[in-house]
Amino acid sequence: MAVQTYSREVQQTTLDPTLLAVLANRFEAIVREMTQTLLRAGRSAAISIARDFSCSITTSATGQHELLAAAEGLPAHIYGSHLQAQAMCELHPDLAEGDAFLHNDPYLGNSHPADHTILVPVFCEGQHLFTAVAKAHLSDIGNALPTSYMPAARDVYEEGALLFPCVCVQRAYADIEDIIRLCRRRIRVPEQWYGDYLAMVGAARVGERKIQDLVAKYGSETIKTFVHEWLDYSERRMIHAIRQLPGGDVIGTGRHDPFPGLPDGLPLKVKIAIDTQAGRIAVDLRDNPDNVAGGANSSEACSISSVMQGIFSALDPDVPHNAGSFRRIHVKLREGCVVGIPRFPHSCSLATTNPANRLVVITQSAFAELGDGWGTAEGGVAQNAGYAVISGTDTRRNGAAYVNQLILGGNGGPASPGCDGWVTYGIAVISGLLYRDSIEIDEQKYPLFVKSEKLAQDSGGPGRFRGAPAIEAEYGPKGDPVTLTFPMEGYETPAKGARGGQAGSRAWAIKIDRDGSEIPLPNIFTGDLLPGEFIRYRDCGGGGYGPPTERNPEDVRRDVLERWVSVEQARVAYGVVLTGSIEDETLAVDQEATRELREQLGK
Amino acid sequence: MNGMAQYRIAIDVGGTFTDVVVADNTGRMTIGKGLTTRERLFHGMEQGLTVVAQQLGEPDVPTLLSQADLFIYGTTTATNAVVEGKTGKTAFLTTEGFPDILVLREGGKTNAYDFTAPYPEPYVPRRLTFEIRERVNAEGEVVVPLDVEHARSILKRLRAQHIEAIGVCLVWSIVNPTHEATLGRLIEEELPGVAYTPSSRLNPIIREYRRASATVIDASLKPLMQRHLREIAQDVSRAGFRGEILGATSSGGVMPIQELAERPINTIRSGPALAPVAALHYARAEVGSRDVITCDTGGTSFDVSLVRDGLIKATRETWLGGQWVGHMTGLSSVDVRSIGAGGGSVAWIDPGGLLRIGPHSAGADPGPACYGRGGARPTVTDAALVLGYLNPAYFLGGRMQLDVEAARQAIGTIADSLEQTTDQAAQAILTIAGEAMVQAIQEISVNEGIDPRETLLVAGGGAAGLNIVSIAQALGCPQVLIPRTAGALSACGAQYSDIVAEFSLSRLAVTDDFAYTEVNAALQSLHAEMDTLESELRGRGLRNFKRDFFAEARYPTQVWELEIPLEKDRFDGPHDVAALVQGFHRVHERVFAVKEEGAEVECLYWKGRLTGLLDRMQPDRSPTWYTPQGAIPHAHRSVYFAGQGRTDTPLYLGSALEPGMQLHGPAIIEEPTTTIVLYPHSVAQVAPLNNYLISIP
Repeated sequence: MAVQTYSREVQQTTLDPTLLAVLANRFEAIVREMTQTLLRAGRSAAISIARDFSCSITTSATGQHELLAAAEGLPAHIYGSHLQAQAMCELHPDLAEGDAFLHNDPYLGNSHPADHTILVPVFCEGQHLFTAVAKAHLSDIGNALPTSYMPAARDVYEEGALLFPCVCVQRAYADIEDIIRLCRRRIRVPEQWYGDYLAMVGAARVGERKIQDLVAKYGSETIKTFVHEWLDYSERRMIHAIRQLPGGDVIGTGRHDPFPGLPDGLPLKVKIAIDTQAGRIAVDLRDNPDNVAGGANSSEACSISSVMQGIFSALDPDVPHNAGSFRRIHVKLREGCVVGIPRFPHSCSLATTNPANRLVVITQSAFAELGDGWGTAEGGVAQNAGYAVISGTDTRRNGAAYVNQLILGGNGGPASPGCDGWVTYGIAVISGLLYRDSIEIDEQKYPLFVKSEKLAQDSGGPGRFRGAPAIEAEYGPKGDPVTLTFPMEGYETPAKGARGGQAGSRAWAIKIDRDGSEIPLPNIFTGDLLPGEFIRYRDCGGGGYGPPTERNPEDVRRDVLERWVSVEQARVAYGVVLTGSIEDETLAVDQEATRELREQLGK
Repeated sequence: MNGMAQYRIAIDVGGTFTDVVVADNTGRMTIGKGLTTRERLFHGMEQGLTVVAQQLGEPDVPTLLSQADLFIYGTTTATNAVVEGKTGKTAFLTTEGFPDILVLREGGKTNAYDFTAPYPEPYVPRRLTFEIRERVNAEGEVVVPLDVEHARSILKRLRAQHIEAIGVCLVWSIVNPTHEATLGRLIEEELPGVAYTPSSRLNPIIREYRRASATVIDASLKPLMQRHLREIAQDVSRAGFRGEILGATSSGGVMPIQELAERPINTIRSGPALAPVAALHYARAEVGSRDVITCDTGGTSFDVSLVRDGLIKATRETWLGGQWVGHMTGLSSVDVRSIGAGGGSVAWIDPGGLLRIGPHSAGADPGPACYGRGGARPTVTDAALVLGYLNPAYFLGGRMQLDVEAARQAIGTIADSLEQTTDQAAQAILTIAGEAMVQAIQEISVNEGIDPRETLLVAGGGAAGLNIVSIAQALGCPQVLIPRTAGALSACGAQYSDIVAEFSLSRLAVTDDFAYTEVNAALQSLHAEMDTLESELRGRGLRNFKRDFFAEARYPTQVWELEIPLEKDRFDGPHDVAALVQGFHRVHERVFAVKEEGAEVECLYWKGRLTGLLDRMQPDRSPTWYTPQGAIPHAHRSVYFAGQGRTDTPLYLGSALEPGMQLHGPAIIEEPTTTIVLYPHSVAQVAPLNNYLISIP
């Protein structure tokens, strides 16, 4: 049992409805202010360029730890924050104002070890009412290799990360220097880590101060009433959203490609039961393989957040994402399951991406089984060379060391019943939220040379609505060798289409030697690129939704004009015959030939 | 600019209204409003000018114009053209390998779970994007030489496609612009007369997307804006004007329109950029404030901007058409945060039973229920009318009669769902609508490390007075200043603005090994650019100039820059570098609450700002405070206030109020272009220069 469900009847509000709306806004605004602080003050590119972090506020005003507000945080970061707040209280009965905790332990509620979390208990009128949470993906956490992803680690010992099982890192608003020294000793590029740490603490402290101001203004009793009613309101929204769905049971299946410890890949199954009468969704992940001897085990937080993200992607996007709406989702997990609750010391190094990406897309596309108009296709999942963690030294900066994750790639987003896929989707767990790297910033900060970065024609899965295209790019070292590591997925199993839509293209990566010869790379790559060598890669295209022969021929024509789709694919996949030329903009649909071809294809 | 003339004219053409503000040589402002006439903007100006001419006792518009020496023009023409995609047919030339810079933007999305919104189109379609065979690296070395023949063949194709404008943005042109310069020459040879913009000339900043975006926006506007500005100049001079025509810019200044025609992107959002200029002027003159939050409430949007220590906050991240999904202008411009909230925003009850306002708007047609044009959905304007804040007979200066009963019925639907009285529901609508504005103000001030509780709020716009007092209360602002000219704040700002031109250059310099020669050369070349403009302006009679320099810098492992004012225009030794570093630590601490003492600082850009000071028409009154005296209301009306219920509330005509007079809330002040609702316990005083200063309890 991972998520608690409530039998208590939903109450109507007693707080002034205006105040309910105002306070909800204020809490969201506090999270945004925390987010701004962390974004602008963060040091590593993952934080300050890509926005790979999240802030949230959990509350203990209801007698247990529950997520209250998360603004636009990353799903994988957010949904477990209440588990972390709970661990903080259980492990530290002497909790006091001015404390801060460092938590990156996936066996205690964190997502994966590379997500360092700072928890600050917020005391109001002497009571611990809220916890301000800032979580960021760091490029280095002291792993055995210079990467935050260790696909081949057989266990937590091989993985090598420093694990902090919710450790006190500030007392009375001052650093506990032992912990800081420990991190500085064992984490690569310690100045970068410390800068990111300061930014996280700063964000959590901003949250603390603003929450205290708010409670001082309205009084803790009013605020507690607000928390109850806001969560109840969110629950009502969720019930209403679930009741819009056709009811029934659906099973989503998919497969994670072969990986260290997974020679045959990993078949995954998500069983979803939608009870529209009761306004509840139950998800069962227990019928999945046991923990594996590699880094691809999910943490409890990620198992929950992945299916939650998938479910919310299939519902009204306006439903608040907090503990109130979560009450209507029941996720059944099994201890020792690869997508359940991990059994120590199995490694969860890749929990936020593999197999989380797959769980997200399997879940959201499973809703398409309910009928046309529901769910989405699958989005791309490749965490390819464009997301590699790179490290080395830079002679331009007197040999200064660096380690960072690139965001120089991107998979295509899934098509939905109403529109084509989102182009800057990233990967499934990101779903468009992250910023992308500037080529010039990357070349300035690291000794890299980017040769090209473009969207690949015909890579989006054909459908009535088209999956978004994949990025194809090429880069290499400049004057110094660069060490890079990436754990690519999606090279065998593409992003599937839904309801007759077709799959997007698969991912690949090749190395180009100094003599120009091309060497296909394994999906798990750790190694050095030397000056003169390049890596070229393509991510996954998104899946299409609905039969491609139902796509509006005019939209196909525009796709061809804009070079998303070739004339050839327009004909073969979409059954659209075009005349004229792209160059002089005379391209036109041959209506008669198109009708005939589509009839043929339909047979 | 000779100071002999009688009048100075400022005009701000908005979507609905054209605001005209004429200053006489005592500094007195006269406002006239006309309806914007999009087919020929001058007609709307003429309406407004006619109103002003009458008030000033001038026989007609030509007489008024002939006695003016300055005509300052602000327009939304460029902004509208960009948002509506009605610019010239534009091509984008970029470095081979990077055709999707405009498609990919910088990433980011508001809602990860929303799969109902299509991905936004790039500013220039992919089919009009062309890859140029060339490449320069981060150090400015040519890695792939420019393939001139290949480039020519592309340009020939553009000619065949009847391209009207070309934006050129090559990777790393900011450190080595020679390929862009060569392409410029080739364009002039192959496509003579076709407008083009090279990124290294327009906006030499790092980050290819925002530089490219600025470049294509600017190029696309050239055909349209060059024609438009020429026509305006012709219309104005045909009507009798003989002086200098200046155009408002996005940096809160003005420029001769001949210069603007060369950089039309600078006219984007120039109207909103002038609001804080007016606000700062009033704040200084009335109470000596240098920290000011400016709000400008229009019919459909609420704009917020910030002045800190007398400096208007700038940003390089201005989006047209929405953050992440629109197009970034990329230029340093006044930071104006705009939210879609106004009188037309619709109130509704969501499936969870919560009252929500917007984002849907009833617009102007059918408009709020009280317009009586068939709109039935309850809006913010309906709520204000129900509460008694608006005078149904005096809306838009009496241009429109409002239907109170229709408003009550519309609000009644909300009241029923909330199980409240109609008054309570109307109050709730105004409060929640105000909440979005509170958030917008908090967001911008927080980002700059400013506490609204220690800052003066200046409110402008026709709808500002309705709830600014409750917004100030929510923010904890002690005082609100509402200028008499609140209804035309931007046009007023034009009256107080100077000629402002900004130039920037990219030159990386780290403080532990400071590149004195390179940086001083960069600053010197900024000086040279300013020299050129200054001598041009001197030719037009301008005499007083000021130059300011800035560095945009960061800690070495950081990514985002902060702007640091420089104390000097050259670095003579370690002492000057140390001053820069200290300046950076200070700003960093203010904005992020932390600083890293001892860390080095990395400077990316150097910016120079040339200010050509226009002669001020000084107000004829000195700001001395008068003894408080009471004012006499002209009528009473039943008005609803939260916590107090219906109250027989005195109404005051603005024209009857004089400096020194004090009004205690609840009360309502009716001005020709705005209505000010004085909530219970707040006190308004007519300040020495005749503006309203409201104290919030």
